[in-house]
Amino acid sequence: MKRWQIILVRMAILALVLGAWELAPRMGFVNPMLLPPLSEVLAMLKTQIARPVVQEAIMITALEVIVAFIIAVPIGAAAGVAIAEFPYAGAIFKPMLFYVFSIPKSIFLPMFILIFGIGFQQKVAYAAFTTAFVVLMSATAAVESVKSDYILVARSFGATPLQILRRVYVPSMMPVLLETLRISMIFNFTGVMIAEMYASRTGIGHLISNWGENFQMPQLFAGVIMLAVVAIAFNETVRFLEARCSTWRT
Amino acid sequence: MRRPDPKIVRWGILIALLVAWELVPRMGLLPELFLPRLSKTLTVLWIDLDKYWAALLVTLYEVVLAMVIACGLGIVAGATIGGIAVLRDLLLPVFSSLYAVPIVILYPIFTAWFGIGSQSKVMFAGIYGFFPVMLSTAAGIRTIDPQFLLAARSMGATVTQQITKVIIPASLPTVFGGLRLGGALAIIGVIVAEMLTASAGIGYLVTLNRTILDSPRVFAGILCILVLSVAYDIIARRLERRMVVWQSAGRRQQQASPRPIAQGAPAPAAA
Repeated sequence: MKRWQIILVRMAILALVLGAWELAPRMGFVNPMLLPPLSEVLAMLKTQIARPVVQEAIMITALEVIVAFIIAVPIGAAAGVAIAEFPYAGAIFKPMLFYVFSIPKSIFLPMFILIFGIGFQQKVAYAAFTTAFVVLMSATAAVESVKSDYILVARSFGATPLQILRRVYVPSMMPVLLETLRISMIFNFTGVMIAEMYASRTGIGHLISNWGENFQMPQLFAGVIMLAVVAIAFNETVRFLEARCSTWRT
Repeated sequence: MRRPDPKIVRWGILIALLVAWELVPRMGLLPELFLPRLSKTLTVLWIDLDKYWAALLVTLYEVVLAMVIACGLGIVAGATIGGIAVLRDLLLPVFSSLYAVPIVILYPIFTAWFGIGSQSKVMFAGIYGFFPVMLSTAAGIRTIDPQFLLAARSMGATVTQQITKVIIPASLPTVFGGLRLGGALAIIGVIVAEMLTASAGIGYLVTLNRTILDSPRVFAGILCILVLSVAYDIIARRLERRMVVWQSAGRRQQQASPRPIAQGAPAPAAA
């Protein structure tokens, strides 16, 4: 299929889904109490975004996400590079990390609450904790994706470690690095959301779980749409950059 | 100096952690509210054993159902979308964009729709596992060597034969990988859901005891979940290795990282 055809069909699917969302509750196929029509949800989204309470919640959540990310990435990356570069450390820790990875991190939320309370710090600490593991795994994969031939060649031409880092590692890791950042951000966002939904007084996750508990479906769907749009927009932007970076890689 | 075997070091670290769990609170380095000592946690677990056991059974029941949804739908959808070129071009990028949405925000919708019983957990964890399983199956199904199909076709295999003799055997590793991933995610999803809103299950027990600040019972619950997920991982990996062992027959057994962290394949969830 040609590019424009694909886009056309995708648009048609999207229109179909959105149309069904609008029509099914209106025609009485589903209970409008459970699934409010799309137009109602969008109108609600508009009024909600205008509310100062919601704006404040968005700001807090955004700040939590950013701070957690800034903390998690260097820690996870340093540990990941160490595991990839020192085979002995890798042999010890890699199998352990696979187990740690399959453990639901949310079970540690109670500990974070006991130590940090239920405020800003706890959200940041928990999200950074979950994200650091993802960064670690991806960073290991990124370092291991560098072809050892390149390093060998560079070294035989007498490159210094700094030169190898700048001329070999960074260029060949660039697309993977962006992907690492993208995936880590997805998990980071999820971490903040879970922490906010679990126990919180502010933040958009707290609002969403409150709306759910009070059965305010239009508000709930409005919140879900907003977060989904933000997440997808971020993801697509980074994927676009990834595609551009990988063109100059072999 | 000869370095000790990594396996021994791993056990050493595990034992050191357990000893630290006992000693750090005992010596008063951390308040018992933050980290109750191991012996106390185990005692509490022993006293309330039937309570924890009952909760664990509820959780397991939900996990199994969620796993059926996540793996069943995920593998079928992934194989269909990954195997058919038109669908792949059309839908795969859409699903990978949707993957960015934190699925946990859908959980309040599920509790509103299905109540706070098992059903909402099963649905949530099923969806939670569905996306990664589908994406990894779709990625894996494309790794089937087209030469196999070409060879089968040139020897006159019918479409049915191509499917049963080539595609299914060649995609088994992918399918088992998907099963393992789906199960792990189903466990995570159920636990997260139980911790958020529930009336039964091990995650609920953890949250309940947290709200009354009963730390030893919180940690007893955490310990149960740790054992559950690690045990699952060990069993699933062993089964997988046994089922696909003939796949690598004649080739050197691949070692090092048993779980591929290939780029492009979605990383398992870390919630």
